[in-house]
Amino acid sequence: MTGDRERRALDRRLIAWAQEARAGDGAADDVRFDALARDLFAFQYARCVPYRRLCQRRGVAPASLGSWREIPAVPTGAFKEMALRSFPCERTHHTFRTSGTAAGARGELHLDTLAVYEASLLPSFERHLLPDLAPDARMTFLVLGPNAQQAPDSSLAHMFDRVVHARGAAGSAFEPDPEAAARGLADAGEPLCLCGTAFAFVHLLDQLATRGTRLALPAGSRVMETGGFKGRSREVTRDALYAGIAERLGVPPERVVNQYGMTELASQFYDSVLLHPDEPRRKLSPPWARVRCVARDGGADVPDGELGILQILDLANTGSVLAVQTADLGRRLADGFEVLGRESGAEARGCSLAADEMLAGDAA
Amino acid sequence: MSTASPDAVRASLRRLHAAGDALRKRPAREVLDVLGALLERLRDPTDPARRRIETELPAAAGFSPEIVREGLARGLASWTGAALRALVDVELGDAEAFHGAPTTAAILAGAIPMPALLEVVAALCVRSPVLAKPSAHDPVTAPAVAGALAELDPALGQCVALADFRHDDEACMDALCQADCVVVTGSDTAVSSLAARVLPPRRLVAHGHRISLAALGPAALEEASLAEAARGLALDTALWDQLGCCSPVAVYVAGPTAAAGRAAHALADALADAEARWPRGTASPEAEAAAAHERALAEMRGAELLADPGARWSVVVEPDAQPRPAPLHRFLRIHPVTDAAALIEGIRPLGAKLAGVALAGFAADTLRLEAALRGAGATRTCAPGSLQAPPLAWHRDGLPVLRRLLPGA
Repeated sequence: MTGDRERRALDRRLIAWAQEARAGDGAADDVRFDALARDLFAFQYARCVPYRRLCQRRGVAPASLGSWREIPAVPTGAFKEMALRSFPCERTHHTFRTSGTAAGARGELHLDTLAVYEASLLPSFERHLLPDLAPDARMTFLVLGPNAQQAPDSSLAHMFDRVVHARGAAGSAFEPDPEAAARGLADAGEPLCLCGTAFAFVHLLDQLATRGTRLALPAGSRVMETGGFKGRSREVTRDALYAGIAERLGVPPERVVNQYGMTELASQFYDSVLLHPDEPRRKLSPPWARVRCVARDGGADVPDGELGILQILDLANTGSVLAVQTADLGRRLADGFEVLGRESGAEARGCSLAADEMLAGDAA
Repeated sequence: MSTASPDAVRASLRRLHAAGDALRKRPAREVLDVLGALLERLRDPTDPARRRIETELPAAAGFSPEIVREGLARGLASWTGAALRALVDVELGDAEAFHGAPTTAAILAGAIPMPALLEVVAALCVRSPVLAKPSAHDPVTAPAVAGALAELDPALGQCVALADFRHDDEACMDALCQADCVVVTGSDTAVSSLAARVLPPRRLVAHGHRISLAALGPAALEEASLAEAARGLALDTALWDQLGCCSPVAVYVAGPTAAAGRAAHALADALADAEARWPRGTASPEAEAAAAHERALAEMRGAELLADPGARWSVVVEPDAQPRPAPLHRFLRIHPVTDAAALIEGIRPLGAKLAGVALAGFAADTLRLEAALRGAGATRTCAPGSLQAPPLAWHRDGLPVLRRLLPGA
């Protein structure tokens, strides 16, 4: 039961930080981050066996930790292969799953409570998507996807559900059907927050193009898109997507916010364009998360501006593991970072199967 | 950089079509002699065309100069004029009786020069003029081969042309696909895209991406034999930085579980030696990230991981035979299996994607195992150290080298 108390205390610390952030306080605080990171690392090291194994292989233990930067990061692929829980299995309350890929296996984030997840998602969304709204104001949302009831294992659907519940005006809706969404948009009389995956926007734009429709959404409208095209039948560059959104929806690129998130993380990262419209686009972290760009051996940080592998420390991941190594490349930019996607359709250097092609036949 | 326009590609095809009329009137044996002489030239390390490939390919393709030198030397060792004549005899018999398509387009892929050379030679062997689109990663081999051929026989040189454009230049690709026969190597997605463009009566010959494997039996696990097998497999892995379809991505060790660990250590030692002799070339940041990801994943599983401090090679001892992603760039997985039957069962999921399997240490069971591997999908078996030197006559993807290019084949 000591573990329960310890865990509840950790959750409370994170929730308090998120509440402060939502109230406009709780800025990045390195001392606070380091203290909570150390305590959370010690907690997870003691309770998550596969994570402890990784730490031991790397020679890192809570007692000898010099800085939060030394905390070993778990590769996102591990969430497909093993249950990374820092609580007993029987307490699993909710499981979010990554979308299926050609290789079959889906990553899973097991949660024993949604409280931390929900407390952390709102401040970031509000700060980056609704910076011009009064704290108690609502706006109309159209989400191009299913709601949480329709897709209970989708963390994205859950996130949208919570956001719409907290800040959505009457008339907000979830609409996975692009044809119906296109019809609905044509009637929009008030500024909209239009949200969805990048691929959902591609379908919507296709639908509008088929109908020969060019909309001009009301001034003040904004778009939030997320996700990539891996495993999809078609790839579109982000520039082309934003140009299509401007052309067909009348929302200029400077009002389109990309969210960088993943099922394995409780926190999300958003483009700065609405918050800092006069500054270069970059992704910003919530105060309880840090993004590192590390060298190919997964160790040292590369200098700012240089390409590295993105590692994320997310202190809202209280129930699983706090440090995650992505397969994404990016670079640090001043107070934020940039994610660099793989060049679309890059020509292969050899005739061997690429890693993600190799197991594709096992998907069935 | 794109240098061809759709009009230029169409004009090249027209010129080749005309050159093909003259080519088909030449005796097949005469053409074959020239092509045999071409191979002999390229086998000579002092030949200017060979030297050009050795000099220019490393920077263009990202391989170390040592890799290109060694890869060419081993790859071309058995590609003699005599081997080419034997191939024609076996596949065509009376070569005079066969003609390839009026024009062949070869969409060359990747950075490895051997398939590029083979595609040009094979098309000319069946007296089909060829329009080759060099890969972005190897802008050297096709021009070097075409130049050497033109020196040997200017008329035959007129039967090879190059179409240099970006692989995503749809208009140029459409123009190229107007050839009567289109040969391509690529991912399933790339092949599907071309299949939609090359409609009958035009002919598409597609080669997919493949992997190779290795298997060590009990006799190869004894100390002296293990070191030798490991040296061979390290060479197979190091050549072309494991990027080719002849590169092994996993080694199955048939025997007690501890044997897999011993094999891993022997391979790690051999890969370290290979790195000193044939340094690994460059890897894209994405490739480095994928390998780092797989190394960390192995640590999470508690798998034994042996890796160069600079991550220039990695060996992971897996707990079972379950296939796992291959990040390439000298990343080997070792899978323990109890015996040959378990080996066949273990690789079955990969059957359709298999190219070669290097085998050692199965003694009297070797022939039976080779047959089983071929039944499971492998198109070639050989000893460790020979994977990267397939014979000219190797039926890649099960397709005959020359007959695949004949109309109606």
